[in-house]
Amino acid sequence: MWSKKAAAVAGGAIFLTLAGLIRLNYLFISAGLVMLTFVVISSFLDVWMPNVKIRRETTSDNIFEDGTMSVKFIIKNTGLGIGFVEIYDNLPPQARIIKGSNYTLLYMKPWQEVSFEYSLKLPLRGHYHLGPVKMRVKDAFDLFYSEKIEESIHSFSVFPQIEVLEEQVITSRSPKLLSGAMPLNVIGTGTEFYSLREFVPGDSLRSVNWKALAKKGKMMVNETVREDVMDVILLLDAREVSAVGGGKDTPLEMSCRAAATYAKQLLDERNNVALMVYGETIERVDLDRGEHHLFKILTALSSAKPQGNLKLEIVMKDLLPHLPSGSPIILFSSLDDDHTIAEAFTSTVSRGFTITTISPSSLDFEERMKRIPMEPLLIAKIERDNMISELRSFGLQVGDWKYGDNVNTALQEI
Amino acid sequence: MEGKPVEIKASRIPKIDKIINYKDFFGEYPIIFAIKIISSLSLIYVINEFYIYHNPMDSLLTKYLGNSLKGFDPNPDVFVPWCFAAGFLFYIFTIFKGRYKFFLFLLIAGSLGHYIAEPAINVQQGEHIIPSKVEAEGLGEKNVTKWTWKPVKLVYDDVEETENRIDDAASRLTNIIFGSMPFLGAYGIWKRKGWAIAASIGLAIIIGFLYTPNLCLENFEESYCGYETKQEEKTWNEYLSSGIFIGLGFVIYIELSYAAIKYENYAEQFKPAGLDISLLTNAQRKSVSKTLRTLFVSYLINLAVILFVTFIIAEVVININKYLATSDGQIQDSIELQGPYGIVFTSLLFFLLLGIIRMFIGPDNKMKEA
Repeated sequence: MWSKKAAAVAGGAIFLTLAGLIRLNYLFISAGLVMLTFVVISSFLDVWMPNVKIRRETTSDNIFEDGTMSVKFIIKNTGLGIGFVEIYDNLPPQARIIKGSNYTLLYMKPWQEVSFEYSLKLPLRGHYHLGPVKMRVKDAFDLFYSEKIEESIHSFSVFPQIEVLEEQVITSRSPKLLSGAMPLNVIGTGTEFYSLREFVPGDSLRSVNWKALAKKGKMMVNETVREDVMDVILLLDAREVSAVGGGKDTPLEMSCRAAATYAKQLLDERNNVALMVYGETIERVDLDRGEHHLFKILTALSSAKPQGNLKLEIVMKDLLPHLPSGSPIILFSSLDDDHTIAEAFTSTVSRGFTITTISPSSLDFEERMKRIPMEPLLIAKIERDNMISELRSFGLQVGDWKYGDNVNTALQEI
Repeated sequence: MEGKPVEIKASRIPKIDKIINYKDFFGEYPIIFAIKIISSLSLIYVINEFYIYHNPMDSLLTKYLGNSLKGFDPNPDVFVPWCFAAGFLFYIFTIFKGRYKFFLFLLIAGSLGHYIAEPAINVQQGEHIIPSKVEAEGLGEKNVTKWTWKPVKLVYDDVEETENRIDDAASRLTNIIFGSMPFLGAYGIWKRKGWAIAASIGLAIIIGFLYTPNLCLENFEESYCGYETKQEEKTWNEYLSSGIFIGLGFVIYIELSYAAIKYENYAEQFKPAGLDISLLTNAQRKSVSKTLRTLFVSYLINLAVILFVTFIIAEVVININKYLATSDGQIQDSIELQGPYGIVFTSLLFFLLLGIIRMFIGPDNKMKEA
């Protein structure tokens, strides 16, 4: 292919020649012809294209949002060609290069292996890939070039950021057979203090509170909260409306970060966790536990895309028959554009499930972007506050999550 | 006393590397520095050669500017090196750092302002330079003092000299327009600016080529025009040869200056971001130097071969044209071969032949869709 330089030189040469003809100027013509001849002769030079093998070594196949990934790009010339090669490793548009470069110009000899490194930062969750690799070879004078695309793809996932939860708010009254670390708010064997009572025959001496004995003069024993394994259902609203805002500042992104944080905490405490993502359809990650299950949940969260407009009531009707009775449900939703919320909550609670809502406020994003005038925005805020108050009046736990707050702050509101 | 640490105070005189980025001038690799020098020499050569055959007075610009170009004498031996030096000095100015660049700019602006204003404005000084106490007069008492200001007045003195200097400045401005070619070229070569190099070539074509030679001699004296083309009455053959040399000179200038940029870009990529190349190990530096050397040698061989072939083809075109034009027969009668049309006619035959060969040899180059 012709480079810009070749086109410019050839264009200039033709211009000179034609101008020489018009002005009957020998110098014009001869200078133009010399330049044109140079370009034509140069086009006979062979533009080689290397046969290469490409591989990448990365520090990790999966990273968290705002995490960095170092990539070592290794290319080996398996052909006999020799010369300059421009190499451009295609990156996802969201990626920011923080060190090195994904572009390089290399001089390659036959069977030579060359490598270069760069580090990436990805601010948004999702599934991404590095590559394909674009290679460009030019002739000695940069007049002509040839391009080739190597389909060398390296896929990786960016998981939502996980925060550390400061307190425990999820409770259940449906104990499982195996003991766990989740307090059930009933008296039982555990580590968390519940109350003091008088000693009765049969109580273990290990549970006697000796300080209380000294104070009251009679034997008192500590009662603890029963801790057990729970089945917790995380329900994520990934409807189209959850993409209000932009970049990292959307209800969906905030919900994903919160769901990842909860999943991590609950799984660390040996609970069974399921994830349901609804939008156009319902995507499920069934109940399970352990590190491997966390990976599954994070992968599902990375895949969540804002699409569809499935109402919560329909989702609940579909889900509830399949859920273990009494399991706590944690809903992550901005509660926008859904007139079935009250009905959905009522039917869920009436079936014996507890439902906790973490609701990122999409109005904050609109306010920040200044797309809505002040008065309608104020009315929308009042409507949202009324809705949350109404839900709370039913005895439901609703956390109003403001823009810029972390998950812990939303939890404290509940 | 012995255990007391010795405090070394930093010198108030700034180090040279704080004032000027001299490494930008020499570069990190001698080969790039050498290419820049060769490229600069080729620029001086080609424009000098160019002005011998194309007096700037023959350009379209001078035609329309007419008599306003008083004192403009473009003698290529003087004009080209000075314009090149101006472009080179501009580059040197850009490598000064931060506030030193600003100080230098102030110095230049101040000197220029002083040069223009100096003959006209005469500041007459009074007795007292600053407000001071002087003996009060007319009060009838001795030893009575009062505060007074220095009397200053500006006198427009030598207006004629200023007018001369304005004329001089106009002449210099004309020089700047016509000298932009070597100016931009020099700046481009040393500052790694492709657009400056391209602009210098464009200007050469616009200013120098866009008019038939000898217009100057029709309107001005021979001594003023500064070249002897008309008197010598050169033949078309001599014109063609000079055109070939100018064309080859331009090709060398373009290729070498772009080569300097290309190799510098290659070397730059090994430099750690924002840091000095001295952080590289000796082995790394040797490797880059070796690659640059290898590349430049292969580049020079390619360039030499292609220039040689180009020169041969140009000579062949001239000779065939000459033969056809001077031989008796049908071809000579049918077309004016001893002229521009004849040259193009012969060249087209050559390009046709090259096109046929090109169909079987060489890589498949196609113009990429926009």
